[in-house]
Amino acid sequence: MKYSARLMVLIFVGGAAAVFSELTNRGGRSTAIVLITLGVALGELMVLRPPHRTPIPLSYAFMLVLVRGADPWVCIGAIALAELAVLPLRDGDWAARLAQSGQHLVAGIAALTAYEALMAVDQLGPTPRLLTALAAAGVAALVVHEAAAAFTDPRWPEVGGADLALVASGMLMAIGFRGVEPGESVGLWSVGLFSIPLLAAWYSFERLALISRTSEQTIEALSVVPELAGLAPAGHAARVAELSVRVGDQMGLRRRELEDLRAAALLHHLGHLCLDAPEARERPIEPSEVSDQGAEILRQTDLAAAGDLLATDDARVGSQILRAVSAFDDLVSRDMEASEAMDALYSGPGFVYDSRVIDALDRIVASAPSV
Amino acid sequence: MSDQRESRTTVYCVGLALAAAALGAVLGVRGPLPALTPLIALSLLHVFAENQITDLTPELGSSAGVMLCTAAIVVFRTDQSALGVLLVGAAGGLYLPHLIHRDWRKLLFNCAQFALVAVASAGVFWTIVGSGKTSPGLLLLAAIPTALTYSIGNVVLVSMAVVLSTGQRFRDVLLVGSREYFVFYPFALLGVFLGLLYLDYELALVPLFLVPLIVARQAYSSYLALKRSHEATVRILVGALEAKDPYTAGHAERVAEYAQYIGLELGIPPNRLERLRLAALMHDVGKLVVPNHLLNKPGKLTAEEFDIVRKHEDVSVEILTRIDFLAPVAPSATSEAAQFSPIADDRGQPVEPHIVAVADAYDAMTSTRSYRRALSQEIAFAELRKNSGRQFHPRVVDALIAALRRRGEVHGAGHEMYVHHVSAPSGHLGSAGLGDLLPDGEVEDDADSTVRS
Repeated sequence: MKYSARLMVLIFVGGAAAVFSELTNRGGRSTAIVLITLGVALGELMVLRPPHRTPIPLSYAFMLVLVRGADPWVCIGAIALAELAVLPLRDGDWAARLAQSGQHLVAGIAALTAYEALMAVDQLGPTPRLLTALAAAGVAALVVHEAAAAFTDPRWPEVGGADLALVASGMLMAIGFRGVEPGESVGLWSVGLFSIPLLAAWYSFERLALISRTSEQTIEALSVVPELAGLAPAGHAARVAELSVRVGDQMGLRRRELEDLRAAALLHHLGHLCLDAPEARERPIEPSEVSDQGAEILRQTDLAAAGDLLATDDARVGSQILRAVSAFDDLVSRDMEASEAMDALYSGPGFVYDSRVIDALDRIVASAPSV
Repeated sequence: MSDQRESRTTVYCVGLALAAAALGAVLGVRGPLPALTPLIALSLLHVFAENQITDLTPELGSSAGVMLCTAAIVVFRTDQSALGVLLVGAAGGLYLPHLIHRDWRKLLFNCAQFALVAVASAGVFWTIVGSGKTSPGLLLLAAIPTALTYSIGNVVLVSMAVVLSTGQRFRDVLLVGSREYFVFYPFALLGVFLGLLYLDYELALVPLFLVPLIVARQAYSSYLALKRSHEATVRILVGALEAKDPYTAGHAERVAEYAQYIGLELGIPPNRLERLRLAALMHDVGKLVVPNHLLNKPGKLTAEEFDIVRKHEDVSVEILTRIDFLAPVAPSATSEAAQFSPIADDRGQPVEPHIVAVADAYDAMTSTRSYRRALSQEIAFAELRKNSGRQFHPRVVDALIAALRRRGEVHGAGHEMYVHHVSAPSGHLGSAGLGDLLPDGEVEDDADSTVRS
């Protein structure tokens, strides 16, 4: 089902539930709770995707409104209902969907627990206490979210603006909905309107994610051109890129360096396209010519750092990795066993390949011979 | 800008600034003075909003202005301090680039128009709700006519400035961008809430309000930077790679530019326009797999060579399909998809392949190739018109011709940016046909009727 259709389904079902609630319990709080529950459900499908960060659903902001505006059991019930409602609309297999919904329910419960615990502290004045409790609730939800994400990606999360925007908007919506003292609240309208800055952030991150993906896919697509022209074995660029990043990761390269290494690996045969065909030349094409030509092209773009890695006179670790891994893939592509290819690299002249790189590559090959 | 227009615009801006200053003086003498803390806080927020957001999207900058002016109107409602509203409004005109470049006229104009519009809006809001205790519902209701007043005042004052500086008709200027003013209404409502929150909690909640806006701004700024960088990278990569064929150097970039002209002329929305421009830039990327000697062959191709050259379309499609954003317009790279068919058009087929086809053919005709010299622009137009409704989409052909004429651009023989000295035959009416490239010895059925790109 299309993304917009999924949102429409939720809006239709939630809207119908709100109308029913209003008809059966006119003037009560149940309609507002139903609509906030709808916000949680919609927020499950609208996700902030900051770069280098686990995506965070907007639902956490709406959960803060429930935490503040509903009784504890109603809050848990509403979050559970929203998680159930989005279950059929999520991507992935059913096990993954259940895990995601369950994890978000736990995050909601953690938020509620943190909120209730801090609201019980009498030493603070009403406004600081409420602000602290809501902030703690938001942080608790995010901690659970990150703890769950750590199972798949154990790296320390890059917490940043998206987290702040989510918690700040949630706090503002919660205070707008119920106020600090009874009678101060603006009501349900505030939830809709204070979600506008958060939606603006969501839209901006969506655009950023789209252009980042397009940029990556463009490099990947261009990497295939030399292969389609018969200048490199099929799949060579993708394999070299993947293996280079694994070697670089093992050798402790930073995220930015790994990104440059990946781009350089994907495009390391690009220069070949600019060289004259062998039959039109006096001497055969040397690999160094291909690399230097590629470096020259990439240096004119924002991929200049990747271009530097291609240059034959570059002695940085990234260049060494690229050279060794490319040679390894060339050998394996000629039906050589991985172990034999490693032996060939080890027996090569010492000044050609960096021994630390070969060792790291060997460890990876040994751990997964299918490489 | 002519001297006369220049001086008229200056008189208008100075006049507006004097009016705002006079109003400020009267309000200062007669009315209550505003409380200092909200005045400073809201003014700083207004300066911040205009400077942080306006350079990204002007309409969002203005909507932040309507929000903060509405907040000031709510905050200063109890003591009816119109001077407070005026000063908060005027703060929005302090746009840093204007200050740095000492563009005093723009500074005066913006401060004055924001101030006057804010006071007019406050008049409407306070007339409706008064200064006593009021329900949030009535405040929200009053925000609608307030935003209407703000938008009318803003559009009239800004349009006047544009009319005076450019000489355009007032009605034409008024209509441009009027749709953007719909964004004002939700932001005016948001301003009411911001004002109420300020009254209840003073500055404690302002950071909560600011954080998501700043984050949104930073993410959008990163998006714009990456978008520019990505397009520049593709442009350079494609340009460097296509340099292997000196006859088509710069071709992709020109096709992208013509496609953009056509897209704008046809009113294609910005997102699709972005897609179209990138697809046009990469439409010939498959040609990279064609050996140089075939691309640069002066004479006719053999049947085998022709098949190899033809294969590049499939490669282009494969490359574009690998990029999700461009996949929907990947058929732009094939001549079949670009072939006009009235039936397909009635079925609402996408127009992008036709745009790329026309832009591609126009550039092919107006630049020198290994097999013939560049045609003149008029011959190229004649060829496009002759094939309009058959090979080419008529609306697209008309759009390209209209766009180029409007811009006063002339391309083709005598106007080429890169001129190659070749022994290729001169171009003339009918010489743009596929026959130029047909395999040796093959007879073309309708040689003159098909423009080859």
